[in-house]
Amino acid sequence: MSAAIEVRDLRFRYPEGTEALRGISFAIAEGECVGLIGPNGAGKSTLLLHLNGLLPESWNGEKSVLVGGRAVGPENLLEVRRKVGLLFQDPNDQLFCPTVFEDVAFGPQQFGVSDREVRERVARALATVGIPGFEQRAPHHLSVGERRRVCLAGVLACDPSILVLDEPTSSLDPRGRRELKDLLRQIPITKLIATHDLELVVELCTRVIVLDGGEVVAQGPTIAVLSDEELMLRHSLERPHALRHLHPH
Amino acid sequence: MRHDFLDRYSRLDSPVHRVPAAVKLVAALALVVAVVLLPASRPAALAGAAALLLVVAGVSRVPWRFLVQRLVVLEPFVLGVAFLALFRPGGWPLFVFLVARSTVCLLVMVLLSSTTPFADLLRVLRSARVPALLVTTVSLMYRYTFVLVDEAGRMKRARLSRTFAPGPMRAWHGMATVVSQLFIRSSERAERIYAAMCARGWQ
Repeated sequence: MSAAIEVRDLRFRYPEGTEALRGISFAIAEGECVGLIGPNGAGKSTLLLHLNGLLPESWNGEKSVLVGGRAVGPENLLEVRRKVGLLFQDPNDQLFCPTVFEDVAFGPQQFGVSDREVRERVARALATVGIPGFEQRAPHHLSVGERRRVCLAGVLACDPSILVLDEPTSSLDPRGRRELKDLLRQIPITKLIATHDLELVVELCTRVIVLDGGEVVAQGPTIAVLSDEELMLRHSLERPHALRHLHPH
Repeated sequence: MRHDFLDRYSRLDSPVHRVPAAVKLVAALALVVAVVLLPASRPAALAGAAALLLVVAGVSRVPWRFLVQRLVVLEPFVLGVAFLALFRPGGWPLFVFLVARSTVCLLVMVLLSSTTPFADLLRVLRSARVPALLVTTVSLMYRYTFVLVDEAGRMKRARLSRTFAPGPMRAWHGMATVVSQLFIRSSERAERIYAAMCARGWQ
């Protein structure tokens, strides 16, 4: 069986010259939940954009990003974007419609789903993220936590088989963070979570990939990698508190 | 930060608010066209239109104070254009008529936007086959006005918290910085929004 996501020697340089990714390789199996960690500017967000084919200047015919065994390219963009749901870091970037309903319906409508099914999907997605009945609310009247939920609903309404999240818990209060964590745990699909929230990684992810300076500097089982204090400190990370009192022998 | 400065009263409940958005939009456009076509020799008809609007405003229960404030904000544009009429022979009566006529048109639009949620208006435009690109642009504009105002407010506060010797020159300089920074940030945000739209199948 082919991996849900496979990245082979991915390189990317922004037009202004910054070399953001310098030969990244990893694979994520179907159903896995993987954490992507690393300091600011390590290339995490750039990498995530590639998983949705959002940096077209990087297509040079090389098959460096594969989704479900197929290389991402101009000819299968729609399919890739439907399969890989991307949650952006700033909810304001992602909520671009005047009402919650229109926003959550945006994806399904693009994919040619019937009006009735769109309404059902929106209702179902909002119920899944714990804010049923929010259809007619305006995004600018919602709290940050609610906005993040609407974003997630908008992604889930597209019925993705892989969820890619960029800093899902940033600027959430502890309750919002806990609820989001429980929510993510209940969504039984393949997940890749880019975050600085190492406690979240310990609780949700079975495996982590450590990115620094545009390269994969370590990957492996969560506890083994995050317990390596020397490695963590070298890459501007730290050993999470939850692992300090754990004795994995 | 106040998030309702644009259409604070559009979700009240009144007979005017309950009229379907499509009906209100068509009526508003018809009224504006009729008023614009009115010749200067018919001030009575203009007064009639104004009276009608005042009745609608009364029924809608939108506070008078708010309506007047809105008109005052928009009036400089009207005066700027009407000002040119003063240079023509018989300028004064024409000037007064132009100002009155434009004010009536503005009142129509202010009432429309204060009694109809913006999302409903967009829906009407979309079902009336207004080009999708135009509706999307207007919709994004509406949505991001709030984000921009927030961002400007945060930048202003951040600047004030480190302004230790206030003065008019510094204030102007600060304002210019905020405007230019907003411009740059908006264009970067526009790219991120476009990416978010593409991520959900926009093409």
